[in-house]
Amino acid sequence: MMPRAVRDFRFALLAAALVALCVALARPSWTLPRPAYDLLLVVDVTGSMNARDYMLDGNPAARLDAVKKTLRDLIARLPCRSRVGLGIFTERRSFLLFEPVELCDNYSVVDAAIASLEWRMAWEGDSRIASGLNSAMEIARSLDADLVFLTDGHEAPPLPASGAPPFEGEPGKVGGLIVGIGGGSLVPIPKFDDMGREIGFFAMADVPQENRLGLPPADASSRPGWHPRNAPFGGEAPRGNEHLTSLRGEYLQTLARRIELGYVRLQDARQLEAALAENASRRMIETAVDLSPIPAAIALAALVACYGALPLSRLVGPQRGTSHISHKNERTTS
Amino acid sequence: MNFAVDHPAVLLLLPLAFLPFVATVFAASGYPSLTAVPRDRLSFATDIGLHLAGALAIAAIVFGLAGFHRREQPVERIGNGANVVLLFDRSSSMDNSFGNRLPSGSEESKSDAAKRLISDFVTRRPHDRIGVAAFSTSPMPVLPLTSRHDTVKAAVAAIDRPGLAKTDVGRGLVLAMTMFDENAANASRAVVLVSDGAAVIDRRVQATLRSIAARTPLNLYWLFLRTKGSRGIFDPPDPRQPDTPQVNPERHLHLFLSTLGIPYRAFEAGSPQAVEQAIAEIDKQEMRPLAYFERIPRRDLSSLCYAIAAVAVALLALAKLAERGLAERYRPALAPGGKRG
Repeated sequence: MMPRAVRDFRFALLAAALVALCVALARPSWTLPRPAYDLLLVVDVTGSMNARDYMLDGNPAARLDAVKKTLRDLIARLPCRSRVGLGIFTERRSFLLFEPVELCDNYSVVDAAIASLEWRMAWEGDSRIASGLNSAMEIARSLDADLVFLTDGHEAPPLPASGAPPFEGEPGKVGGLIVGIGGGSLVPIPKFDDMGREIGFFAMADVPQENRLGLPPADASSRPGWHPRNAPFGGEAPRGNEHLTSLRGEYLQTLARRIELGYVRLQDARQLEAALAENASRRMIETAVDLSPIPAAIALAALVACYGALPLSRLVGPQRGTSHISHKNERTTS
Repeated sequence: MNFAVDHPAVLLLLPLAFLPFVATVFAASGYPSLTAVPRDRLSFATDIGLHLAGALAIAAIVFGLAGFHRREQPVERIGNGANVVLLFDRSSSMDNSFGNRLPSGSEESKSDAAKRLISDFVTRRPHDRIGVAAFSTSPMPVLPLTSRHDTVKAAVAAIDRPGLAKTDVGRGLVLAMTMFDENAANASRAVVLVSDGAAVIDRRVQATLRSIAARTPLNLYWLFLRTKGSRGIFDPPDPRQPDTPQVNPERHLHLFLSTLGIPYRAFEAGSPQAVEQAIAEIDKQEMRPLAYFERIPRRDLSSLCYAIAAVAVALLALAKLAERGLAERYRPALAPGGKRG
C-alpha cells in the first residue's frame, strides 16, 4: 500500500529540498572569463615627491604617501591572479625591485613592499623623467607587463632647449598609463640633510633654474647681457620656479602620447582601476563560479514553505481550518 | 579556531530556524484529549528530535549560504632553517662576467650566476623567512622578511637588471641588519651580503653597525664574487702601496666585519662553481631548529553545512513516510459512532 504521505504536498516539498541539497553537495560550478592584469608599478621617489600637496586623514601628506595609499588600495581591488611587480624611478633610471608576482598568494608581501617605499631609496637629486620613463618601458617590455608610471613630471634639472630625449623603443608595444601626481598650484619641496632630517625647503638658488647644456634657446639673443661667445644664454643668473613644484600634466600628456600610454591624474584607486581597464591589456582567465548557493536557496525555500504553508493557510482562511477541526472533534466525541 | 562567514547579511535568515518549533510538516489529527495519550518516552524523544531536525536543516542551509568557512590560519611548526636577509649589490659591475668582460657565449655574468644559484638556495630552504634588500648608491629595502618564496624569487630574479653606479655597502648593511622583526627573535638570524666589490664605510656608519651588531645577535656571511685580476679579500696588501681602505676596500671591509664581534664568514668566489660551494656552505651552517608558521589554507565548510541539512531533511522525509493518520486507523471503528451522532 502507498503511504498516504506521498499524496501530501509537504512530502513533495521535503523531497524537493532533499534533491536540491544533493545537487548543492555536488558543487555545480560555471566557468566565467574574468579580466586580470600584468602590471609593473614604477613609482617616482625623487625629491619633488616629498612636496606635501595631498590630504590624508585630514593631515597634509607628501605625494609619495598619497601614491602609496592609492597603490595599496589598488592592489586590494585588482582581480585575483593579476600579477604585480614593483620598481622605483629616480635620477635617470627605473630600478626594478621585484618582477611581477601573482597577487592573491603574495598580497601581504607586495602590500608591505609598497608601504616601505620612501624617498631615501633615491640615490641622486636628479629627476630625469623622460629617461626614467624610457627605461621603465624597456623593463616592462622585457617582463611582458603593462606599465603604470607614477610621477609628478617635475624634470630636474630642467630639460635643455632641445626638449626631452627621444624614445627609442617601439611605441604601442607596452600598454599602460602614466599617472600624474600633485596639485595644480606651486608648493615648496622639503630639503633633507645627510642624515635624513628635514631642514627646510629648497630656495631658488639651490636648484638649477635652467639647463645650459646644448644649444641655447632661439630667443636667447634678446636676453640682457647676451653675448654670442661669452654669454650665449644671457648674462644674468636665470630666475624661475624650478624650486617649487606642481603637477606638470601637459608635459606628461605629451610624453604619454609619444609612447602611446594613457594619462590620468591620481584621484583614488577606483578611478585608477577604471583607467587600467581602458589602457592596460587584459588577460582573460577562467574563473569557476560556485553555483551551489542556488540549489541550496531552493532547498531553504522548500523547507520554509513546507513548515510555513499550513499556518499561513490557516491565517488566510481561519474559517475552514477551525470548522474542519470542530467537525472532527464533534465526530470523535459524540 | 577561526570561523567566519563571507556574507553576514544572510545570517539574518537564521530566525527561520524557529519555524519548526511553531509549525509541523506532519498531518494534524484530531484527538479528543491529549491527557488520554499514554506517556511514552520514545514518542516524546521522536517529537523533539523531529523538531530539532527541521530547525537544524534550516540553520545549516542558512550557514551554508552565508559561506561558512574556517579562515586561513598559521600553525606553528618546528623545522630547520633561519631568518635570512639577502643583501644584494646592484652596482653595474655585477653585470660583467667573472673575467670582467661583458658576458659572451656560454659565460655567465656575475649577477646571472648569483641569481641562478640563490634562486636554488631559496628553493632548497622552504621553511626560511627571507627578506631582500639591495644597495647601490643608496640602500633599498625590497621585501620584508616573508615566507612567501614566490615573491622572494621574483626579487632575486630582478638582481641581474642593469644596476647603478656606486656601492654604499655600509648603509646597505645597516638596512639589512635592522630588517629583523620581533618574530625573528628566537630563531637564528643571518645576513648574506652578495657583492663584487666593497667601498669605504663612513666612520659614523661604522659606529652604527657596531652598535647594531652588539644589540642584534646574527650571523653575517659575505659572498664576494671576485673578478679575475681584482684584489681579493684575503690577499696580503701590496707592499709598494699604502694599506688604506681607499686602496684595498675589500680587505678593509673584511677586517672591519671581523671586528664586529658577531659570527662572520667571508667566501671568495671566482667562478660560478665556487659560488655554488659557498652557498652550499651557508646552507649547511644555517640549519638550526626554527619555529616557522605553516599556513593552513581557508577551508570551505558550506558543503559540510549542506550535508548536515541533507541528513536532517532525509530524516524528516522518512518520518513523513512513516506517518499514519489516526483517522485512517480508527475510521472503521468510529464509523458507527458517527452514524449514531
